[in-house]
Amino acid sequence: MNVMSFVYGFLVLLGVFVFQTTLTGLNRKVTARLQKRYGARWYQQFLDIFKALRKDSTSHGWVFDFGVIMALGGIMATVIFIPVAGFEAFPGLDNIFVISYLLAVGMLGMAMSAAGSGNPWASIGVARALTNMLAYDVPLMIVIFTLIFAFDSSSLSEIAALQQGMGILGWNAFRMPLGGIVAVIALLGMLGKKPFDSFIAPTEIASGPMVEYGGKHLGFMFILHEFMTFIEVSIILSLFFGGGATIWEYMLKYAVLYTFMNIISGVMPRFKIDQAVKYFYRVPLAMAIVQGLVVIFTGLGVTLWF
Amino acid sequence: MNLTIILAVTVVLAVVSFFITRLNKKAGGFLTVIASLFAFVGLFLLKGSIGGEFSIFYFSFKITMVGWYFALIMVLAYSMTSFFNPFWMDKMMYPGSYNFMYLLSMAGTIGMFFAKDFITLFIFWETVVWSSTFIIQLGKSRKASYVYYVVSAIGSMATLFAIMMAYSVSGTFVISEAFAGLSGGAAIAVFFTFILSGLAKIGIFPFHVWLPAAHGNAPHTFSPVLSGGLVKMGAFIAFLSVTAFPAYEIFSGMFKVMGTPFPIYFLMALGAISIIVGTLMAIKQEDAKKLLAYSSVANGGYILIGILMLDQVGFAGGMMHLVNHAVASAAAFLAIAAVAYRTGTTKMSEMGGMIHRMPVTYIVYLVAIISMAGIPPMGGFVSKWLIFQGLADKGMLFLAAAAFFGSIGSFMYVFRPLSAVFLGQTFTRDLKKKEVGFFMMLPMLILTALSILAGVFPNTILRVITEIQASVGISPVTLAENTIVTVNGYLDAFRVFIVFGFGFTIAFVIFIVRRKSKKVELMDTYTSAEFIHTRELLHYSSKFYAPFERLYDKAPDTMKLYKKIAVKIGELGNLTESLFYGHKPEKTVFWVMITGIFVVIIGGVV
Repeated sequence: MNVMSFVYGFLVLLGVFVFQTTLTGLNRKVTARLQKRYGARWYQQFLDIFKALRKDSTSHGWVFDFGVIMALGGIMATVIFIPVAGFEAFPGLDNIFVISYLLAVGMLGMAMSAAGSGNPWASIGVARALTNMLAYDVPLMIVIFTLIFAFDSSSLSEIAALQQGMGILGWNAFRMPLGGIVAVIALLGMLGKKPFDSFIAPTEIASGPMVEYGGKHLGFMFILHEFMTFIEVSIILSLFFGGGATIWEYMLKYAVLYTFMNIISGVMPRFKIDQAVKYFYRVPLAMAIVQGLVVIFTGLGVTLWF
Repeated sequence: MNLTIILAVTVVLAVVSFFITRLNKKAGGFLTVIASLFAFVGLFLLKGSIGGEFSIFYFSFKITMVGWYFALIMVLAYSMTSFFNPFWMDKMMYPGSYNFMYLLSMAGTIGMFFAKDFITLFIFWETVVWSSTFIIQLGKSRKASYVYYVVSAIGSMATLFAIMMAYSVSGTFVISEAFAGLSGGAAIAVFFTFILSGLAKIGIFPFHVWLPAAHGNAPHTFSPVLSGGLVKMGAFIAFLSVTAFPAYEIFSGMFKVMGTPFPIYFLMALGAISIIVGTLMAIKQEDAKKLLAYSSVANGGYILIGILMLDQVGFAGGMMHLVNHAVASAAAFLAIAAVAYRTGTTKMSEMGGMIHRMPVTYIVYLVAIISMAGIPPMGGFVSKWLIFQGLADKGMLFLAAAAFFGSIGSFMYVFRPLSAVFLGQTFTRDLKKKEVGFFMMLPMLILTALSILAGVFPNTILRVITEIQASVGISPVTLAENTIVTVNGYLDAFRVFIVFGFGFTIAFVIFIVRRKSKKVELMDTYTSAEFIHTRELLHYSSKFYAPFERLYDKAPDTMKLYKKIAVKIGELGNLTESLFYGHKPEKTVFWVMITGIFVVIIGGVV
């Protein structure tokens, strides 16, 4: 751990912010075209964020501010741990459990700040968000557990590297097809995309956790959302789609995966929160367990099986 | 320091505190602080004499590393909680007996962990059970102590049976030798009956019913001890049943699941069920203390699974989770007690927005739940990480699924008191409430600091655990300077903490350089154009996870099943009574004769 690590970490944050915000902007266009609209300019997302940061804001007490800072701080720390095309600012710390639980610090901060606003819509939104998390995370964690058992490693970069050099069929999504499907469905839930977006349902619970934010707090939430998206897509990309050997490959794959998620989301209606739980605990959970048993007892998928 | 002195002083001070409390309630309460702190310091200094053996009267003791480790955790919970005692004396019905029992049960736990033979262990164990039964009675409900006692008694009797059975084979009560020579069916019987008291104490399904009853209804100053301390006695029995009773060797010829003999795997599966049941039940509690009690059930499951793994990684995780859960759960219970001290209730729907009145208590609760939910940079993360890595190494898919479910479910239930009690709208009634005094704040702050330290420098605790692992003959977990290395993973908790601090600093700087925000009142929120002037109505706290709870509200309730069984037993008793003890003596004689003849015939046939 030296000074350079922190400098690299800071650069990673900047790069990720620019990349993901651009991608979000482009995807707003994609969504618009799906809905037969013209859509905003690709850099509209940047304008939104900087405008929010410049405006006046209101605060509902110290926990409202503290939670926002803790959320963004936790999420940024997580971004620094994400390996991008084999590069890590802090080598060796890309343990999958560390990343997925450090992500929870950010989420807890956000939940805390939202509930601290005193608005019941926010609390309802947080309750739904946590329920949603319980729904998608259990099947996903079982699949990740299977990967750790199969490859004897819980490092994101190692698992990504193991899939490279064998062409497309070397990706875990094809070696373990059921697990890959579960991961993609879980990613929809993680990103809060339709059909699993009931916790931010704007027309129903007034955007849930976001209801009281304005000005710089809202700007923080926008930035946080970009970072969180990057973390979630990157985890799935590294674990199931082979990460990327070069940074360009990584960015291309990333853009395709993220846009794919967005397109699915664009044509979906919304699940109620209990329906989402029921759904995840029927199909994806069963698939994850079957995949786990296949890998543990037959070893299929650890070695290439075709 | 000598163990005899520690035990003698605490027992004597227990008696003294009873009489002093008669004279001055507060002084009696302070005496428990002094006595428990004395025991804590004494035990800490005892590390030098590990390996020593001695006897007092009929009791024989052996100072072992694992005993020292357990006793230290236990007395930590006792001594930290004791700071609350002086302030609750006025609310207690029998303050004298409370203080007496408090110190007596502490002495009992210390003696139990250092016992050399099973008779000593059993006597001290029963001292704890009895004295804590009487303390629980002083709380909200008498019935709670019945439930506690019945469950404890089932466990204790089963364990006594196991000890006797082992004695009949080996002819000794000494812990390290008593189980020698057992094999076959007798070994299985001894194993399951011996561990029963441990399961009952940790609150493993189906014995978990006593935790919500006892933790939820015990005096607010005793719940932290119950959850942070006494539950860990069960973990000690679980530890003995895989080490002193070499379960892995004795059952090595049996059917194995993922490399683990079936009897042990069965208990691990019970641990997994406890995690799921505890999590689901905690999510739907309306009382903050009951919620934390069910979370202890879930965490007990992790501890049991970890200890029973008896390997390099998972075992270390289970042992470390003992400390982390003890510290976090004692802190959480103390925070709830502090709130109850000011508001007089633990029901989540009757409070809100306490953060604006009690900010320090809020921070204490926040750190405690971060640790309990296993989120870095607190201690709970490291121990859960070790358990996950251990399970992943062995490929125990179903146990891991339960562990993940409990881990993510814990975000749900720990957030609930945070949101309902501390965040949201402050009730009009509580607008003038103050933070608790410094003396009550002190133990909470110490526990908070310990939670963070355990998460940033986990190797301090893990070094002790490596010694325990070496003493029971398994390879210790690999530790470098600041890092933990396992077969399939690598964790540097200190660097994770530093990077988290780095991210937090950047966020803080961005926040500070932007324009200062305008402070507005909590009631000044978006309400969809409704006019709401009642604070209480603008607070979302009861039935927090209603859509999720609905999914399993028809699930069978264990307590209801037990109640039905109790009713049936009562009816059987009534039937017997009506047959034998009617108004007419000749009827009694008739039935006694019929039964007698029946018994003789059956006896003859058999």
